[in-house]
Amino acid sequence: MPSPTAARSITAAAAAVALAATMAACGSSGTKTSSSGTGGTTTSTSGGTSTAKQGGTASLLQGSFPDSLDPQYGYTTQAVEADAISYEPLLTYSHTNGTPKLIPDLATALPQVSADGLTYTLNLRSGLTYNDGTPVKASDFAYAIERMIKLNWGGDSFITNYVAGASDYAGGKATSISGITTDDASGAITIKLSQAYGAFPNVLAFPAAALVPSSTPMTVESNTPPVGIGPYTIKNVVPNVSYSLVKNPGFAKFNIPGVPTGNLDQINVTIESNNQTEAQQVLSNQSDVFDPFDTLPPALVSQVKSQAADRFKTTTVPQSYYVFFNTKTAPFNNEVARQAVDLAFDRTATARLASGFLQPACYFLPPGIPGHPTASCPEGDVTQSPSAANVAKAKSMIQSAGLAGTAVTVWSETKSPRQEWMQYYTQLLNDLGFKATLKVIANATYFQTIGNASTNPQTGFADWDEDFPDPSDFYLLLDARSIQPVNNENFGNVDDPHIQSELLKLEAIPSTQLSTTAPEWASLDQYVTQHAFILTFGYQTTPLFTSDRIDQKSIVFSGSQGLDLSSLALK
Amino acid sequence: MAVDLTRAEDPLLAPVGADEPVSAGTGPYRLAFQRLRRNRTALVFGVLFLLIVVACLLAPVYANDIAHTGPNTNHITEVLHLGGRKVDVVDPTGIPTGPTWHSHFLLGADPNGRDVAVRLLYGGRNSLEIGVLATIITMVLATVAGLVAGYFRGWPDGIISRLMDLIWAYPAVLLGVALGVNLALGGISVGPIHLHGSSNWIPALVIGVVFVPYVARPLRGQVLGLREREYVDAARTLGAGHLRIMVGELLPNLASTLVVFVALQLAQSIVLEAALSFLGAGVQPPNASWGTMISSGVQLITVAPHLVLAPGMMLIAAVLSVNVFGEGLRAALDPRAAVRHV
Amino acid sequence: MLRFAIRRFAAAVGVLVAISILTFLIFEAIPNGNPALRLAGRTASPADIAAVERTYGFDKPIWVQYARTMKEVFTGSIQSYTQHVTVMSQIKRGLPATVSLAVGAAVIWLLVSVVLGLVAALRAGRALDTTITVVGFTGISAPSFVVGAVLLYLLAFKTHLFPNGGYVGPSTSIPSWLHHMLLPWISLAVLYIGIYSQVLRSTVVDTLSEDFVRTARAKGLSRRRILTGHVLRTSLIPLVSLFGLDFAGVVGGGAILVEDVFNLNGVGQYIAQSISSLDVPPILVGVLFGAIFVVLFSALVDVVYAALDPRIRLQA
Repeated sequence: MPSPTAARSITAAAAAVALAATMAACGSSGTKTSSSGTGGTTTSTSGGTSTAKQGGTASLLQGSFPDSLDPQYGYTTQAVEADAISYEPLLTYSHTNGTPKLIPDLATALPQVSADGLTYTLNLRSGLTYNDGTPVKASDFAYAIERMIKLNWGGDSFITNYVAGASDYAGGKATSISGITTDDASGAITIKLSQAYGAFPNVLAFPAAALVPSSTPMTVESNTPPVGIGPYTIKNVVPNVSYSLVKNPGFAKFNIPGVPTGNLDQINVTIESNNQTEAQQVLSNQSDVFDPFDTLPPALVSQVKSQAADRFKTTTVPQSYYVFFNTKTAPFNNEVARQAVDLAFDRTATARLASGFLQPACYFLPPGIPGHPTASCPEGDVTQSPSAANVAKAKSMIQSAGLAGTAVTVWSETKSPRQEWMQYYTQLLNDLGFKATLKVIANATYFQTIGNASTNPQTGFADWDEDFPDPSDFYLLLDARSIQPVNNENFGNVDDPHIQSELLKLEAIPSTQLSTTAPEWASLDQYVTQHAFILTFGYQTTPLFTSDRIDQKSIVFSGSQGLDLSSLALK
Repeated sequence: MAVDLTRAEDPLLAPVGADEPVSAGTGPYRLAFQRLRRNRTALVFGVLFLLIVVACLLAPVYANDIAHTGPNTNHITEVLHLGGRKVDVVDPTGIPTGPTWHSHFLLGADPNGRDVAVRLLYGGRNSLEIGVLATIITMVLATVAGLVAGYFRGWPDGIISRLMDLIWAYPAVLLGVALGVNLALGGISVGPIHLHGSSNWIPALVIGVVFVPYVARPLRGQVLGLREREYVDAARTLGAGHLRIMVGELLPNLASTLVVFVALQLAQSIVLEAALSFLGAGVQPPNASWGTMISSGVQLITVAPHLVLAPGMMLIAAVLSVNVFGEGLRAALDPRAAVRHV
Repeated sequence: MLRFAIRRFAAAVGVLVAISILTFLIFEAIPNGNPALRLAGRTASPADIAAVERTYGFDKPIWVQYARTMKEVFTGSIQSYTQHVTVMSQIKRGLPATVSLAVGAAVIWLLVSVVLGLVAALRAGRALDTTITVVGFTGISAPSFVVGAVLLYLLAFKTHLFPNGGYVGPSTSIPSWLHHMLLPWISLAVLYIGIYSQVLRSTVVDTLSEDFVRTARAKGLSRRRILTGHVLRTSLIPLVSLFGLDFAGVVGGGAILVEDVFNLNGVGQYIAQSISSLDVPPILVGVLFGAIFVVLFSALVDVVYAALDPRIRLQA
């Protein structure tokens, strides 16, 4: 099996994850906006005081080991899941199913933002101590941010691009970040930005922005993760084999509203790189939890559904899969060509190639992200194959635009089912009259290759998994300002005046006011689909699959924040 | 890994006639041909191999006139009507249909809803083409290297032998995958020739180079022996140039060894191509080879075993037939192979 | 003799150095393969990428990077790019599975091929000989990963007689170790059984016609004595040298495909995964590890041969 354990290197999910059950009346309306319908829906578990059983030990299987358990370096979902309950940042998200909402964590309240949007003021809660008893200081925040930059955390551009003096620190021109000032006596923390950035509070909720003592070494500590403050402590790390999360009972005394203190005494995480074995172990109750970010083998899906219906469901993740079109070169600089392809694209075929773990869709913003359009798709019902009439129409559109016979190179990475999707897409382009060939690039260099200006790719696979639940995080990929010669994430070089003016307006508004701007984001997203700047074909769905021992009702899985390990409880 | 098969230490493959050079006359070859004709096992497998080759060459005919679909045509969401029964080509959970034993999807479908039988034949063309190209590359390079090193000795021998050591000591599969991954990403440009990353020449070149030492080493040893022979001295005294001696005198004496190696290398190259494809460094999708078909089928083997069995059996049949025929050839060319009883 | 041995080993070290340079260059030349791009993350700005390049020294000239990497290889401190763990610790982790696989398969292939080869030779030219030959050639022709996949399908998925891959060490439970390893052993051994039984068959057939065998028979020794005492002992010699090289090849990377199919998490699989993530340090160490085995064993074989046959020195 060619790449059984390719680490899911997503720009995952900040988000401290914790337990909904302890959250009294924190009413983030938890019903999911939409669900795949493949097997039950996730429902809100927010509610009164914890009904979940306390104590006990559970075992979790994961297909791949975290890239690092060090909070200032770990970047994959597996890393985030462990770090999120072991290292608390200043802010976090409501620990509920459904669209997450920012709440204060180690800070006393959400940040106060100056009128120009450049200065953020927060206060550290008093009396906090790390899991080893060391007092938590405000200056530890500055140290953690510096450490994240020094260690080159995968998402550190969110700091270096916006915090004043951070790029100088990253470039070695300064010994500290001038934009961050802290006062250990009062606990005050002030952050100055170099430009207004409405989504900035989300950055403070990354586990990579979690506090660690200022005595922590400035090196990646994967095997002996640093001391942190949180409901669990990471212990017994055996790289690529296993580690344990052991409950820290002292965390409960801080009484941080909305931040759960954990149910299980201990969670033992073991790596099982064979998904088949992983699923079978959970099916036979030898292990307790199947990592939602692993692929449930198609061979076992029907067996799991029939034998374990009460402990298996699927849920949608805010990860959009799409085809990018180069809007600067032929044939896809022609809107007609893009719309024709969009019209004939069979999204149900891509769902089958994903063994059903894909929700066919047409809008870029996925459910769980404010601004996800609820309108029906302009292409028609995307859960059905396109009609023969639409396919014929698409062909004639390409004919009459004089584009038939144009050579097109389709780019893909080797990972399954992405490669199979692009094999389908290449064939579709050929059926529509193009002369398409496929170019498959190793996973490790795919995005670097299509993001390099010298490649100038015509079309191909792309995806986005939220860094935080904010539409601006997705629109980074369609923002003309993102275009750069290397590591370009705007693969199609989309540069549209309407998109730009909308972004300029919407992104200045702080993310705490997202509920008011969501309709405008939705209409921008519909505009993108109407003009087929990209072809979104679906959202990822993942399995929530546990043993008989686990209380399925208590599980919190809030979108790309991943599985909330502190919500796990025995029946 | 079947790589070690060609090690010179293997007496099965010991340089034929190293101690009794076969002259270029027709006598020994006619004898060999007669021996081969009597070896029914070898002939049966030789015919089997020819049948496989012909079947693969006729792939377009099968695709157009029998299966009515191309090797890369997707039918993911289509429904088959099999004598009143309706069957999804690929079901909603992504599992492709197994063999229908009808003209459509005779051997079933793959997850992209493509006809496995059609891809098997087209994939065979790629597997065999790469096998043949790689064998040619190996034989040409190894013959030149063996002749030059064995004939000149001294520093050319030193350089060539160290180079052979290098390739030989580099773990074959790792060398193949490392080179394959790199070249498939970038293609090769040598002067005016540019090989696109998806060209069959790339895996062929990688495989061909990997195997050179396995052939060049025994050839060199044989040349070292041959160059001391009287007729070489005679040619030298008559004023023949180095090239003349190498091509005119030495090469004909290597012919029977080369014939044996051709068959063996063909088998080896087809297997290594499959192994490289299995590790993601072989034929580039959407084109198929038996190796890529096996490799992508392994993930679904529990629910769609035809995805592995069909190409796996074809691969084994092709390699087995080449191997057995090659062994027959070797036995026919090597008079010592006569069976002796206790 | 000593001079020859020293020269042979010096050449072996030279080959290893060349292999490390070649590996380094192959991965350096991968288009858009700059590891800094991967390490910096998808949203990295050019400044972020430059910072990563500085931290890891990717901005230095290639020979400086090579020298530093090789120094780290020899001190054992070299770390993988994708995971911050030392490569040595991961190789050490995978070694028991790889060695288990190689040793177990070697025992099987030696035992089975000696029996098959001997039987075929004694029945040379008859139906049993032909059958064994065809079976042997089928083994040679069947790629280990196909054999492995089919065995897994039939004996693990269909009938549940064997576990679905994975490795359990003998220190945990010997029966479980055997249970997990039997199918991988068979998959790997099939090829070598094919080769070795054929080699043995032909050498035994040759030996049987040698003068000393005729003499022994003339002396009236029993058939069994002749076979075990004279024929088999002589015929095993080529097999032993062949075995040295094949075993080195299997430990040094030949078993990747079987490890992969059975998910044994051995050294080979670790290297294969590192290749797919273009993680140069483990690849470099893995390739050297494999090459050391091959070079060491072949140098050893050369030296032993030279000791036995002085003419070899002329050709070296």
